[in-house]
Amino acid sequence: MPALDGLASIFPPQRLVHDAAFQAAFESDGLTAFRAKPLAVVIPETLEEVIQTVHWCHDRGIPFVARGSGTSLSGGSLPVANGIVIALNRLNEIIKICPHERIAVVQPGVVNQHISNAAALHGLYYAPDPSSQSVCTLGGNVAFNSGGVHCLKYGMTSNHVLGCKAVLATGEVVSFGSQSVDSVGPDNTGLFCGSEGLFGVALEITVRLLPKPEMFHTVLVGYESLQAAGDAVSAIIDEGLLPGALEIMDALAIEAAEAAVACGYPPGAAAVLIVELEGPREKIAYEREQLDEILRKTNPFAKRVARDEADRLFIWKGRKSAFSAVGRLSPDFLVQDGVVPRKRLGEALVGIERLSQEAGIRVANVFHAGDGNLHPLIMFNGKEAGALHRAEELAAQILRLCIEMGGSITGEHGIGMEKRDFLPEMFDEPTLALMDRLRRAFDPKLIANPGKMFPGKEAPALSQSGLHPLEKSGVISRE
Amino acid sequence: MPQAPTNLDDLKAIVATEKQLLPVGNRTKLPLTQCDDATLVSLRSLQGISEYEPSEFTFTALAGTSLDEVQCALAQKNQYLPFDPMLVEAGATLGGTVAAGLSGPGRFRYGGIRDFLLGVQFISGDGKIIRAGGKVVKNAAGFDLPKYLVGSLGRFGVLTSLTFKVFPKRPVTISLQVACDSQTQAASRIAEAAASRWELDAIDYRPDKQFIFLRLAGPQRACESLADEIRNLWGSDVSDLQTAEAFWKSVVELNWFDDGLLAVKVPTTSQQFFKLYDSLAHNEQIQIHGSVAGNIAWILLKSSESLSELDTQLSALELPGLILRGACDHPRLGAWQSSTIQQAIQQAMDPAGHFCSF
Repeated sequence: MPALDGLASIFPPQRLVHDAAFQAAFESDGLTAFRAKPLAVVIPETLEEVIQTVHWCHDRGIPFVARGSGTSLSGGSLPVANGIVIALNRLNEIIKICPHERIAVVQPGVVNQHISNAAALHGLYYAPDPSSQSVCTLGGNVAFNSGGVHCLKYGMTSNHVLGCKAVLATGEVVSFGSQSVDSVGPDNTGLFCGSEGLFGVALEITVRLLPKPEMFHTVLVGYESLQAAGDAVSAIIDEGLLPGALEIMDALAIEAAEAAVACGYPPGAAAVLIVELEGPREKIAYEREQLDEILRKTNPFAKRVARDEADRLFIWKGRKSAFSAVGRLSPDFLVQDGVVPRKRLGEALVGIERLSQEAGIRVANVFHAGDGNLHPLIMFNGKEAGALHRAEELAAQILRLCIEMGGSITGEHGIGMEKRDFLPEMFDEPTLALMDRLRRAFDPKLIANPGKMFPGKEAPALSQSGLHPLEKSGVISRE
Repeated sequence: MPQAPTNLDDLKAIVATEKQLLPVGNRTKLPLTQCDDATLVSLRSLQGISEYEPSEFTFTALAGTSLDEVQCALAQKNQYLPFDPMLVEAGATLGGTVAAGLSGPGRFRYGGIRDFLLGVQFISGDGKIIRAGGKVVKNAAGFDLPKYLVGSLGRFGVLTSLTFKVFPKRPVTISLQVACDSQTQAASRIAEAAASRWELDAIDYRPDKQFIFLRLAGPQRACESLADEIRNLWGSDVSDLQTAEAFWKSVVELNWFDDGLLAVKVPTTSQQFFKLYDSLAHNEQIQIHGSVAGNIAWILLKSSESLSELDTQLSALELPGLILRGACDHPRLGAWQSSTIQQAIQQAMDPAGHFCSF
């Protein structure tokens, strides 16, 4: 293929792929409603190959999308039609783990969970834990500033990234940050994290590691109403407790999880709350008494404490499988990621329920209650004419509700291609203009992951129906 | 005298008309408020906490608000900023603390000022009001400009309002002092403590005395039990830090060394911290304190005469330093990273070039 002249001198044929069958695997990501066919997929095995690819794209003005495991729920790793996909999965070396400094230096294709696995030898772990952590990669986590269930206490990915080496869209190779947790001068690392691949490609990432908590105390509580579960969260926060996780699922989400993984949540619950405390055993002994007392006053109709690590993981299994489990209730669904102030969670859920009924579309709710991060799952059948459009309309109304309440359109999934049209509703014109100038400073030719974050018609994609093949087979899940 | 606008419109007008300007707060970090030919714009008149929602763990305050005011307001609701804001008694403002990017010993447990800053409002070089980040504890929308402005030294815009995440205060703290017989032993114990099950709140170190300072925070019973374990582990080397409050305050206020006229911050790894100490230990004009398990070296100097030696050693170790206190011409020491992109970012943030360049 003449258009690929030059790339062939960087990659052997088996790592420069443009046959339709192979490329199909890269046409979509965790936002399965959209797809696009790239010009080619390259599979670098060295940093130099990534740098050369970016140079090649820059010289020719050809767009590129760096991609790890493609688990983005906002379409962040959706290919650009006639662009290059740089598949970073083979750059999966944990370059070093330094227990003395409590840091790890990794390549972008390293799977999130693998860092904690490797660090476990030293009693350490990597805190950010998106639900897809068993497959998602650090490069994508950095690009989209991924979250997880522990964000209120420990922050998001950017709170754990100390530095990174990156090739920018111009081909310039930069080193941001250092191996110290602190810095002087503007925080380039912080700016790079969450830039959604619009600045360039991370090549080496330095993350901080934390000591593994000595013990966990995980409680599953069943309530007869969502409101009661929400009130329990407020009661916990108001008492000054800072749990590692505070999660709520509604009846529909429970039904889906139960059907998928038989997680044994309390039958008949209108909502379940998962509270997890973690830390030294002496501290947990004290805090669990406090928690018991608080929960007792919230009138739960069922309560179960994880007996051991296996039981704890079993409780979490229901929560972490909830999204993919919704696939059993509906052939297609959109996962939303809005944030509202915590005290307005109840109001937001009532609003979502009203919108759902008005639209005649079922919505299941799973949310990180501690930080007000909602994940409404909007169910539809993509094979019905106009169904995706109606689901998107409902999603839009939910996002606007979050903005009106003083929240955000995304807590952890990023804007991606999915919510790009809503960026102007979140930020005013001068702020968007500044962000656009910043983007162009890093990428004057607008070739790095175009069509993401910024509104407009860049990089259009086709819509499609059904779960991602990997999701159907249970390999990946959506948080 | 700096200009001191009392409202946003006046501030916007100043940004639009002044050729070169540098925003300042209460000028507690004097070396950072010097820029040739620049007009200083003081934010001191733009002060006050505008929103505080204890149940949301967030507050928003104008940039000129003093840290002291913020801490008092939070304490009334039993909350705090876990990163131990610096130079509180000296009179530092919230905006100045963000621009300087300073975090104290408490940074160890939950992260630094960058990790607690949720949203900013600032005036860009073209006189526009920019609102980035958000007012909720979790938000991934748009570029993370709040983080970028941490440590930016007022070179990209005038911070006017800031939103922070806060945490509930822990019931008690217990501070211990651990005597070490060598730097090697200290390094090893710091690493052990940092990776331990104890969930320490702060780990600081005074290399000249070879004392490690540990702070536990949480429920009384738990802290006492963990303190006992530390005492059992390191025996008679461990003693209670009787003057704990004064000690931690002396770190935060950078005044533990009576003769220290200049104060310098150097971010390090633990290993770099000990190398840096080795290279400077012979000089009695210089005192070094290691904070955040050796990740920040606070260096106090008796006089500016030692600055050139410090500069040389920092350069040799490829470390950057920032002079925060004392009289000097230029606040930067040692090896600072530079890249082509830095200039492009500066241009994007301040197209008309109103601010002193970085």
